[in-house]
Amino acid sequence: MSNSSISFTEELRNRSDDEIKALFTLRPDLIAPVPTDLMALAARANSAPSLLRARESLDKFRLDILTAICTLEEPISLHQIMSVTANEAAAAVNSLWELALLYKDGERYRIPTNVRTLIGENPAGLGARSSKPVDFALLSQAPKGAVETLQKMVWGPPKGQVSDVKKAAPAIKWLLEQNFLLPFDSQTVLLPREVAMHMREGRVFKSLQPTQPLVMGVARKQKAADLAAIANISTFVRWAEELGHNWSDEPPTALRSGGLGVRDLKRTAEHLGVLEPCAAFVAELLYIGGLIVIDTDDQILPTSTFDLWLTKSIEEQWLALTSLWLETSRMSGLIGKGDSKNVAALGPDLDRGGVATLKKAILGVLRDHPEVDPTLESMEATVAWLLPSRVNRDYIEWTLREAEWLGLTGQGAFSSFAIAFLSHEELGIEAALPKPVDHILIQADNSAIAPGPLTLELANSIGTIADIESRGGASVYRFSEASIRRGLDHGQTGDQIKDFLKKISKTPMPQPLEYLISDVAKRHGRLRVGSTNSYLRCEDEGLIQEILHDKRIDQLRMRKLAPQVLIADVESSELMRVLRDAGYLPAAENATGVLISAPRVRRAKARPRPPRVVAELTNPGETLISAALRALRAGERASSHKPREVPRTTANETVDLLHQYIEERASLTIGYADTNGGVSNRLIDPLSISLGTLVARDHATGEITHFRIPRITGVSPAN
Amino acid sequence: MADGPLIVQSDKTLLLDIDHPLSDECRRAIASFAELEKSPEHIHTYRLTPLGLWNARAAGLDAERVIDTLLQYSRYAVPHALLVDIAETMSRYGRLRLEAHPVHGLTLVSSDPAVLREVTRGKKIAPMLGLQIDEETLVVHPGQRGFLKQALLKLGWPAEDFAGYVDGEHHEIALREEGWSIRKYQSMAAEGFWHGGSGVVVLPCGAGKTIVGAAAMAHAKATTLILVTNTVAARQWRDELLRRTTLHADDIGEYSGAKKEIRPVTIATYQVMTMRRKGIYAHLDLFDAIDWGLIIYDEVHLLPAPIFRFTADIQSRRRLGLTATLVREDGMEGEVFSLIGPKRFDVPWKEIESQGYIAPADCVEVRVTLTEAERLNYATAEQEDRYRFCATTLTKHKVAVALARSHADDQVLVIGQYLDQLDALGEELGVPVIKGDTPVKERERLYNLYRSGEIKCLVVSKVANFSVDLPDATIAIQVSGTFGSRQEEAQRLGRILRPKSDGRGARFYSLVARDTIDQDFAQNRQRFLAEQGYAYRIIDADDVLSKDN
Repeated sequence: MSNSSISFTEELRNRSDDEIKALFTLRPDLIAPVPTDLMALAARANSAPSLLRARESLDKFRLDILTAICTLEEPISLHQIMSVTANEAAAAVNSLWELALLYKDGERYRIPTNVRTLIGENPAGLGARSSKPVDFALLSQAPKGAVETLQKMVWGPPKGQVSDVKKAAPAIKWLLEQNFLLPFDSQTVLLPREVAMHMREGRVFKSLQPTQPLVMGVARKQKAADLAAIANISTFVRWAEELGHNWSDEPPTALRSGGLGVRDLKRTAEHLGVLEPCAAFVAELLYIGGLIVIDTDDQILPTSTFDLWLTKSIEEQWLALTSLWLETSRMSGLIGKGDSKNVAALGPDLDRGGVATLKKAILGVLRDHPEVDPTLESMEATVAWLLPSRVNRDYIEWTLREAEWLGLTGQGAFSSFAIAFLSHEELGIEAALPKPVDHILIQADNSAIAPGPLTLELANSIGTIADIESRGGASVYRFSEASIRRGLDHGQTGDQIKDFLKKISKTPMPQPLEYLISDVAKRHGRLRVGSTNSYLRCEDEGLIQEILHDKRIDQLRMRKLAPQVLIADVESSELMRVLRDAGYLPAAENATGVLISAPRVRRAKARPRPPRVVAELTNPGETLISAALRALRAGERASSHKPREVPRTTANETVDLLHQYIEERASLTIGYADTNGGVSNRLIDPLSISLGTLVARDHATGEITHFRIPRITGVSPAN
Repeated sequence: MADGPLIVQSDKTLLLDIDHPLSDECRRAIASFAELEKSPEHIHTYRLTPLGLWNARAAGLDAERVIDTLLQYSRYAVPHALLVDIAETMSRYGRLRLEAHPVHGLTLVSSDPAVLREVTRGKKIAPMLGLQIDEETLVVHPGQRGFLKQALLKLGWPAEDFAGYVDGEHHEIALREEGWSIRKYQSMAAEGFWHGGSGVVVLPCGAGKTIVGAAAMAHAKATTLILVTNTVAARQWRDELLRRTTLHADDIGEYSGAKKEIRPVTIATYQVMTMRRKGIYAHLDLFDAIDWGLIIYDEVHLLPAPIFRFTADIQSRRRLGLTATLVREDGMEGEVFSLIGPKRFDVPWKEIESQGYIAPADCVEVRVTLTEAERLNYATAEQEDRYRFCATTLTKHKVAVALARSHADDQVLVIGQYLDQLDALGEELGVPVIKGDTPVKERERLYNLYRSGEIKCLVVSKVANFSVDLPDATIAIQVSGTFGSRQEEAQRLGRILRPKSDGRGARFYSLVARDTIDQDFAQNRQRFLAEQGYAYRIIDADDVLSKDN
């Protein structure tokens, strides 16, 4: 189709460094990996996968313009394009050119071959061109029904079904005769492009939307949004903490198909006091961050990463999870959906391509429309314009919901913390959190209330002697026998607990609580528990005495617990062996009932294996783009020499030539053998020779490289 | 916002700082949609429940107002999720309506066909429904009104009941305010009930729930069935109604084990209603005997399960539940809500106390140390006998006697669970004992003697836990109870909360054996009262005994 006077590759070659850099910025996949030369670049830019990516990055208007361009014959002037679309098309055309979805042939534009394939056979519902002449004046004499038939087909699809082309109804027959329709096969007729364009009055589209639609929604005050956001942020972090602790106490077991069972999810949601999708979302983020993991025995447990995370400030905790959310391809909204089978949280079926792009687009829209809580419809319309190929109402709804849970939005409007988050600035969350309080109020029903967030130290201290009953802006604690006992187990004495509470309580300590503490303290520790590996018991106390004093079994270091019981710190089998060796006749006893307490806090043994994330290309930095361009230009220069094989030179010749070029400061091409014997051509600027090594600047990398002279197969001047 | 009196917790509890200057204003604002959970001395706890929110919707409050109130008084930012949840929950109410259709009778109507389809798919609900009249209307089988409401509530789609109430047979009843006048909270409670149609009024013991019942009857002006716990209570109701209303003695009937009178106002006991003969509830016909305009359930926290089932059948009659402690140890609060009705009125005990309508009370836990021998015996007792053992020890007996004697000039009640313990106490103190097998006549005689002051001290079993009106009792000594029952403790305290003629405070002693299961139960028992702001103080039994000597 493109019978061009200039090829795509040549046009790319003619682009300036800045234009190529712009292209790389817009289509980062072109430099992953860096193509060797411009021919390779052109091929990549014209390849289906890359074009697909490029199309996805187009907004609705540019996509429409590109589609309109595909209806025209090459080469195409800007004027032509504007006449079939809109006057605003100029900027879009330039943008499409920057994206290398068009290339210039003089003043006009051409389309890289595969772009037409990408847009499709019938761009904008327009059929093929007709080779037969059409006289539009005839339409005024058309028989009844003919114009109506055309109008039905005019906005596409351009094909229509008839029972039999040869015995068509009079109106269609007339249209066929006058070439307004063309027979396609025995049952299909085709509306030619010229006819459709005529009926569309020369415009490819009924209407075009050159700018992003306005976002509509409920107005919010930034201050109110920030306040709500900060509440969301602290709530979210608390959910995450709570979930980790809860799963440490009662670890759920992973399903055989992977992921978290519905029942466990329900239980967790109940524990957190949230709906299931929200609990699933929290679990997913912790999982992605490696804060929880499915252990080798299928138990889902927090990891040591979780412990580290716990020690951070709320701001850091939030940042860690929110950054993950922004990049992940896992869509937790899918959990519990799915028609035939249930999609499980932490399961394998949650990856969706383009989710991160969609999220970023949505956050971008929110950022551009501060103080608005957009309606879902309006957000959908905007996203449909920005990312026409990515729009998905469910995903948008879920993303907005998740942004609210995370506190990126407050009351639906973008918070200033989210703005700072997107621009990598100081978040200011810590400063916005309510000031911590340093006191509690103890009440007669053995509860205590901290009327605000407690300092971490205080919260930990109270947490050991009281159970938390309610969380939020304030915390409600309850003292019970068990909670006081826990405090005593942590090594505090009853008096210490009382003094501590008296010190931090603004209200006098109620007498029943004082009694409760004293009572528990009095009873605590009267029973002693220890563990030992084996015991020896015998009803004959004399024999016990004898064994205790038997020098031959001194190494057992037995201890007398009671007149008839000895304990030893060796395994029971070992104890038996030693006793037998010493001539005693012990018998083994079933040791069930000996309690060996398991560690209370369980952590996974496995290293965190966060789930796979479908990578989405991130925008490359300036340095990366410059490096890619340099490599490309070098490759270009190298490839322009390729036809000429570097002639083989002997070692002496090589050294002589090198010296010569070093003096002349000229670029040259060398053949260089790698460790496998493969020879590649390198374009270099030689600098010096020392110890059998050539020091030169390699054009491909722009770096100073050392080449071993014996490996240089030949030298020839560049250009 | 910044410094409001209210802290909204993400678990949907609201903490109200009552030392805050705005606390009173805030309390009034949130009381209409949040349920008071407890009210100790500094911070009151309210809870947002679906029931409470639907209740508020029923009373005409919309989500916007609820959210505004929270935002207005909140000290910290309110989690948005919670606000969304409130709006969502409240929007569920009223999507389904029960309406009386002129042709088809009772119908379930919804303007949202999707909701209608969702609920009709429920296995439990489908059989209660009949023909679908159109997209939005379904016939409800007659008699299923209560069960349907109950089932819909469980599904989370509470139906708004527009089907109305039958007026019942008219009977003129009015309050006769001669020498007394109805208190403000009493008339508010009665009005709250009347406008709500049906529901429960929660007032502390001694705050005059009977008057609320009488006021409700004066609103209804119709035949009334009153269900009470026992015959003594039935007679008290009768006396009170005769004193407070225009009813005459022959308007009021008693339907109990002893008498079977059916009159325009009939007072029946739960016991007779649930009496079974050959597996059949013999006296249920009473519900249909007269076209009742109002049914009053006294002490609704004790309502036996069979009565719930019958109540489901009579949803077209107005129902009023009365209680001081809407705590059911069997967890059937939800049934009370859907079958009797939502809570229409509740007020903290301490507030009524501060208005002077109930006597201030001093709660004292007396810690009794068991003797070494008793301890050993206790330690070796069977698990199921342990409570009985530690609750009835001789040491306790001695302390109880000493306490009772130290209050020789006051009206004293000794309350306990175990009859032999009570008999022994009665014998030692030389006072009568009232227990289950004491005939009603004898009970009334003794109560009257006590009221007149001729007897200063009574030993009573759990028959006197509730509904017994002994205005001048000032001292209660509890020696044992039904394990850890919270409502029993509150009800027993209630016996001495009637305001005293001389304005004295009441004192409630609870005897607890130290280091035994008694102490654990005591802690649980005291919880309701502690949450109402009654701070127990603890004294040692030895102090009592030494004072005695």
